[in-house]
Amino acid sequence: MIRIAAIADVHFSESTDNTLRPYWSRLHECADLFLIGGDLTTHGGADQAAVLARELAFVQVPIVAVLGNHDYHSNQERGVSEALQDAGVTVLEGEGIVYTVKGQTVGVAGTSGFGGGFAGACGSSFGEREMKAFIGHTEQLANSLEAALAGLSTDFRIALLHYSPTKDTVAGERLEIYPFLGSYLLAEAIDRAGADLVVHGHAHHGQEKGITAGGIPVRNVALPVLRRAYAIYNLESAADKIDGPTRHSNALSESPTAGCGMPAEMQ
Amino acid sequence: MKVEYQYLVARVQRALAEDPRVNVLDIKVMVQGDKIHLTGQVAHEAHKKAATEVASSVVPDTEIRNELTVLNVEAPAQPEAIN
Repeated sequence: MIRIAAIADVHFSESTDNTLRPYWSRLHECADLFLIGGDLTTHGGADQAAVLARELAFVQVPIVAVLGNHDYHSNQERGVSEALQDAGVTVLEGEGIVYTVKGQTVGVAGTSGFGGGFAGACGSSFGEREMKAFIGHTEQLANSLEAALAGLSTDFRIALLHYSPTKDTVAGERLEIYPFLGSYLLAEAIDRAGADLVVHGHAHHGQEKGITAGGIPVRNVALPVLRRAYAIYNLESAADKIDGPTRHSNALSESPTAGCGMPAEMQ
Repeated sequence: MKVEYQYLVARVQRALAEDPRVNVLDIKVMVQGDKIHLTGQVAHEAHKKAATEVASSVVPDTEIRNELTVLNVEAPAQPEAIN
C-alpha cells in the first residue's frame, strides 16, 4: 500500500502565516508522498513561492507539485519552480517521476493542464488564431501528460493536474465558467494511458470526488473544497489484499489511522 | 438592475481578480441600493482586508459591505475508502 497526501490551491503570499505547518510537519505519519496540484502562490511571485518553500521544509516525505494559473500570472513561473526545487520539491510539467515505497513503485505524471470545457460543451480548434491557440495549448499539454503516464512502468500511476479533467469535480461552479476550469482532453489522455488516481485543484466551488469516462477516480483537492490541510488516498495493490475478497485490484482503500497527521494538541 | 450596476459589478470583480493585494477570482459582488456587498471566501485575513481597499478604489464614494469569510483549515480526514 502506498499512502498519498494531496492538496491544491494553497495560494501562498508574503503575508501567509504558518497555519498549515502543524499539519504538514506530521504528514509523514500518514503518507508516503505529498502531491500539490497547483496555485501554490497568489500571483506567481518567486518570493511567494519562497514563503511556501519554507513551510514545505517541514514535510518529511517527497513532494511533487505542478503549477496552476495563479503561478503563471507574473510571468515568473521559472522562478516559482526554482524556489520550490531549491527546497527539494519536484515540479512537473509534461514529465513523470518514480518513487519506491516499501518495495512498491509509484509514478507521478504531472501537468498544469488547461481549459476548453467538457464533452458536449467545449471549445474547438477553429476560428481566430487566439481560439486555436487556446485549444491547441490544452491539446499539447494533454498529449505530454499521456506520454508521461505511458512512460511510467510502475505498480501505481498517478496523474497530477491543476485543471480538472472532468465536470464531475467542478459541479457547484457556475456553468458559464466550466470551459475555464478544465478540459475533457485531459481525461481522454489519461484514459488512453491508464492511471490509478487523478488529483487536481482549481475549482474552489467544486466537489472532491469524480471519475473519468474510463473509470479512473478523480479527486479535486483544492483547499477550499477539502477545508482540510490535505486529503489522504491509500493506493493498494492486489498483493496487499490479504484481508478481504471484496476489494478491487489497485483500488483506493481505507486504513485505520486515528489522529494521523494531527497536531499533538488535537489528538 | 440598472445598466451601470452590471458594469460596476464586473469592474469590481475584475479589480479583485487582478489587484496583487487580492488576486481572488471568485468573490461575489452585489449592488444593493447604494451599497456594494462582497461575499465568498478567501484564504487569508489579509486578502479580506485588502478586498475592501480594492473595491473602494473602483467606487470611492460607495459604502463597501465586506462579508467575506476566511477559510478555516481543519485537520486531515481519515484516508479515503473506495469500494
